[in-house]
Amino acid sequence: MNQTVAQKSYVPAELLALRSWLPAAAAMNGLLFVGEALRASPGGMGLTATGLLLLLALRFTLPAQAGAGRLWALRLLAMALIAVGFGAFMLTDRTLYDVWSRAWLLGPGVLVLAWSFFAPVQAWSTGKGGPEAAEEGLARNRTRLPRLETRALHLFLLHAIAVIIVPVIWIADVAVSPGNILGGRIGDAFTLEHFRSVLGGSQFWIWTRNSLIIAIGTTLVGLALAVPAGYAYSRYDFAGRKGSMFAFLLVQMFPGIIILVPYFMVMKTLGLLNTSIGLIIVYSVTALPLCVWMLKGFFDTVPRALEEAALLDGCTQLEVFFRIVLPLSLPAVGMTALFSFIAAWNEFLLALVFNTSNDRYTLPVGLSSMIPANGQLWGDFAAASIVVSIPVVVLFMLFQRSLIQGLSAGSVKG
Amino acid sequence: MAPRPFITVLASWLLVLSLCATAAQAAGPNMAVVVGEESYRTLRIEVTGPIDPRTDAWEVWFANREFSRLDEAEFHSLVRRGDTSGLTRPAVGAAYDECRVDGDMAHRDEQGRPVISSQATRWSCDLTGMTPGQVQWIAVVPVDAAGTPLLDVNALQPVAGRTDVPDVRTPPPDSRPVTYALGAIVLSAIALLSFLRWQDAKRGRTRARLAHLYVAPGIIALAGLTFYPILYGIWLAFTDADQSHLGDTAFIGLQNFVEVFKTPGIWRVTAFTFIWSIANVTFHVLLGLVLALALNRPGLKGKTVYRTILLLPWAIPGYISVLAWNGMLQPDGLINGMLGTQIDFLADAGRARVVVILVNIWLGVPFMMASFSGALQALGKDMFEAAEVDGVSRWDQLIHLTLPNLKATMVPVSLLGFIWSFNAFNTIYLLSRGGPYVGFGEPGATDILVTYVFEVAFTYGHYGLAAAWSVLIFLMLVGFSWTYLRQTRATEAAA
Repeated sequence: MNQTVAQKSYVPAELLALRSWLPAAAAMNGLLFVGEALRASPGGMGLTATGLLLLLALRFTLPAQAGAGRLWALRLLAMALIAVGFGAFMLTDRTLYDVWSRAWLLGPGVLVLAWSFFAPVQAWSTGKGGPEAAEEGLARNRTRLPRLETRALHLFLLHAIAVIIVPVIWIADVAVSPGNILGGRIGDAFTLEHFRSVLGGSQFWIWTRNSLIIAIGTTLVGLALAVPAGYAYSRYDFAGRKGSMFAFLLVQMFPGIIILVPYFMVMKTLGLLNTSIGLIIVYSVTALPLCVWMLKGFFDTVPRALEEAALLDGCTQLEVFFRIVLPLSLPAVGMTALFSFIAAWNEFLLALVFNTSNDRYTLPVGLSSMIPANGQLWGDFAAASIVVSIPVVVLFMLFQRSLIQGLSAGSVKG
Repeated sequence: MAPRPFITVLASWLLVLSLCATAAQAAGPNMAVVVGEESYRTLRIEVTGPIDPRTDAWEVWFANREFSRLDEAEFHSLVRRGDTSGLTRPAVGAAYDECRVDGDMAHRDEQGRPVISSQATRWSCDLTGMTPGQVQWIAVVPVDAAGTPLLDVNALQPVAGRTDVPDVRTPPPDSRPVTYALGAIVLSAIALLSFLRWQDAKRGRTRARLAHLYVAPGIIALAGLTFYPILYGIWLAFTDADQSHLGDTAFIGLQNFVEVFKTPGIWRVTAFTFIWSIANVTFHVLLGLVLALALNRPGLKGKTVYRTILLLPWAIPGYISVLAWNGMLQPDGLINGMLGTQIDFLADAGRARVVVILVNIWLGVPFMMASFSGALQALGKDMFEAAEVDGVSRWDQLIHLTLPNLKATMVPVSLLGFIWSFNAFNTIYLLSRGGPYVGFGEPGATDILVTYVFEVAFTYGHYGLAAAWSVLIFLMLVGFSWTYLRQTRATEAAA
């Protein structure tokens, strides 16, 4: 039989999509099988496994070329899949999780069944329709295929954000649930008792004060050290430039644990344990390499012509730096400041080791001490973590683009 | 005199009396256990007779909440009872869990375990390695020669003690060596910079006159507070520095390194660290790449919303996310609620290992996604348009155009990711504390090298030993990074 090029290359968009969607659905059911195994429910395991096999069988029953027929087999398998999904659905409670997990059996089944009755698919797989139908189909595919792909992409991204957002919703729910219980349905009770007990007590404010002093101190000291260095590396060529830049880079690669013990000993000898100064010094030095690299990257983007003009007009180099370069790069300096602030605000390990008395805790150590200590104050912990995270998350989201850019300038290019 | 000391004494007497009362019930008719001295990481238990003659040893169990059954507590140590002839007594301050019999130091057997003489009627032990700042509950269980407990292990009545009492302040350690060392380093950094400045002046590079002044603060801070501690740490690895004698440490050669290699479970913890790091970085890169590609699709609606939410694990402070996951994984937490089960995910070694890896993957994906997003946006569109015109399939575009062009980002980012995962202390510490417990002094089932080193240093107090571990970890990382970079460069040359 003579076929045109269009006839040879045409496959309906729906079938093209199913070719990759069915294995994806099978893989998803493989994951759900782990859940059934954890439940130790033989029924759920059996049905999920059957569904998985049916999905794979469906994939290989899809007609591979025009006129291959087999649509009846496809419909039969799809109906079996729907039956399995329905059985599994009836087997368990209908929690949100169960509904979602059964949808991964029912959904593909219904979709395959519906599309198998779709006119272009039927016509193609029974071999009816000549070259014109193929031309028409190809034209239809051009808009149809991207639309189907976009839908699948949205489904994928929705799953991804569900995984991300569930812990966030859960923490918010624990914070507003009475008592220190972890279970219960989300949104079944509402109370502000935890916020009251956290914000009303003195401990949280002591920790916040410690964290603020340390984070602001770190930012100021860190900038005082990093801004001039970043500027010098961006503008001047001097003896020892390469060597010292490499030294900064080397330090950035060092894992913190190596210097943890010696830092602790030095701070202990100098009597700086349980003080703010000890942590400020250590944080500003550990953040220094990245700050220097970030700032160098930013200064590189400030045009030199302005400075040269100012120098010609009789400004001294110091004046040029303070009157021209610094004002121009204020946003960049602000970004670096934000970075050091967030890093110090969130640091856990060094604060855990250095400041061991309760009134010297920073927020990370204080908050984590609410959990393993007596009574596991989950509700209070959740309320406190919301209060602590919101400013950081908002700042991060507002400046994410510049922050990420700066970080990649510091870490990737370096 | 203020009446305060009197009240304190009275109060402590009352406390001791009430503890005695509970303890008498706890230990049955024969034996009484009291918590004696309480301090920062150490609790002293005092056991007074008469002692059951069948007793062959005492097992000390502890937990941070009240317990009545042994499976709710952790095993702390074993105190043997028997013939002490031929055994030695350690000097004061030379052994862990210092034990005393009728006021004298207790004997130790070949394995260093304390042995209480059969004649003794009272003994005490300082239990070290307690988490500070908590109430600890302790039970002492006498066992006979066959290891059978001599009291009902399902109706224990442990005694409590607090560990947040600070140690008696020792005189401040001599800070002169550190001050001299720091001073010398600062002076030599200044000297070096002046020398370089002079060299520049000699060569007539006057434009950079101020450069050395600008970098001086940073370089001095780096030399004094990073390079010096690193060198100091290397020196520590060869000394016997520990919690009990700080300041008068002695050089002991390679003994710490020998000790490291004698640690039971050293290969297990090293293997798990590598499995942990490689699994993490693989999934970080893979998922980050997939998400970046998904978000890179032109004309995708809601891109900003997706991106913002997907960046959340990076924006939320890491310790908060990990603790939230800890809560979700509890037997009554969200995951079990969803499944309708009551599984303690962190109690079984295999399951705990999988779970800590999954949580760390959750934490690290956004960084990779953002890195790859940036790199993808920097790729020229022309290349892909040309490929489209030539009829190259999407998949082939990905394999032959996108991925090779992302390699420049992927190599450094994945190395960085490896190093970060290798050092991901917070995830393990806040999720499982390295548990489930395997053996005393041994790394736990989910311990990675850095959490184990932390334990060696700050739970057991062996600073020198921890420094030796750190040096070895550093060499491991350097070795791995070097091999990785060489391999990738080799494949680049071959391609």
